[in-house]
Amino acid sequence: MSNTKKIVLVGHFGVGKSSLIKRFVLNEFSDNYMVTIGVHITKKVVKINNEELTLILWDIEGKDDLEKIRPAYLIGTSGFIYVIDPTRIQTYQNFHKEYNFLKTTFPKSKILSVANKMDLIDVESFQKQLNIFEIKLDFMTSAKTGETVEEVFLELGKKVI
Amino acid sequence: MNDSEKLVQLKELLLNEDRDFAHKILQKLDSLEQTIYTQEKLSEKVNPIIDEKLHTFVDEIPDKLGSVIAETLMKSQDKVVDALFPVMGKMIKKYIQQEMQILSDNINNQIQNTFSIKGLKRKFKSMFSGVSEKEIILSELNEAKIEQIFVIESGSGILIASASKEESIDEDMIAGMLTAIKSFVEDAYQKEQQNLELIQYELFEIYLQNFTSYYFAVVISGGINGVFKSNLENNLFDFASKYIKSNLENKTYITEKLNQFLKENE
Repeated sequence: MSNTKKIVLVGHFGVGKSSLIKRFVLNEFSDNYMVTIGVHITKKVVKINNEELTLILWDIEGKDDLEKIRPAYLIGTSGFIYVIDPTRIQTYQNFHKEYNFLKTTFPKSKILSVANKMDLIDVESFQKQLNIFEIKLDFMTSAKTGETVEEVFLELGKKVI
Repeated sequence: MNDSEKLVQLKELLLNEDRDFAHKILQKLDSLEQTIYTQEKLSEKVNPIIDEKLHTFVDEIPDKLGSVIAETLMKSQDKVVDALFPVMGKMIKKYIQQEMQILSDNINNQIQNTFSIKGLKRKFKSMFSGVSEKEIILSELNEAKIEQIFVIESGSGILIASASKEESIDEDMIAGMLTAIKSFVEDAYQKEQQNLELIQYELFEIYLQNFTSYYFAVVISGGINGVFKSNLENNLFDFASKYIKSNLENKTYITEKLNQFLKENE
């Protein structure tokens, strides 16, 4: 029986959490914005170090403050993917506060921070912006082009296995 | 050249242009007559115009007639019902007849087995419990049956083990969604740590039995009564203490025992 882990994607409204999952699981992308209500669950089996790992992906509705997410949705999470939108400063202006909230509330869980929608922005100017806020991200992705999407999930898989 | 010849020449000079003009008009008239009286030629000219008008008409139907149709239907609801009722009525009647036939066949089978062990058992049960034999037969026909059973980790919603009579869709995802629903309801109606116990949908009920770190989700068909629920609870408690308590990590072992449990409770 393969190893199974719960992975939760968190972040503000419209940062592309559902799109990242759709790209990773189905290798699809849609420009139409469909708001997630409640929670949507999908799964994908990946191979890490020749071992099968089942990722149960919880796509939670976006909140403008991570502390407002229903705690029951987050219990038992092995890994979080904290997604921000580089085109909207309000999705990362409280980065440290929100990241620390996850880290202190779920000390056993692994966290990866990701800037999605990188196809829409100039990397250098965004990097300057990150320096101002003293933010260090783990990955920069684009669900639209598929760039670095799989790497994020595989890296988190390695961390939680 | 005499006078009459001169007159002819003059006439020709004066009328030649008019004659040409008249001749051209006659030619055009001929061609128009041909177009009108020859269907093929007429179709060639007229069809594109009719097609264009038809397309425009079709495009405009929803805008122009949609509201009119809706209004007409609203105004003549009774007439619509009158028109549909015989058709719908017949369909419903046929369905009920079919179901009644199945029920009647089942009851007949049960009665024919009056002197079987099961039949005699039923008779005694009826005598001692005071419940009529008819009611016992009916309750037997709609007996609750376990269709599927899951053991799910609380919180994470990760499937520990599952057993099913028939192949079902992805159990991992069912376990996740059940946990999400459970979490949502328990969070929304937070009253002194109460747990969601039952989810109902049409012909099935999902009975949830909570333990500290995991819970059972049992999919049941048929009518659940108090006795069935109480027996199920007891069996689940027994199963938990016998097989899960010290083996929570051993998913294969729990799955094997769960399949056994499902067969025993058929």
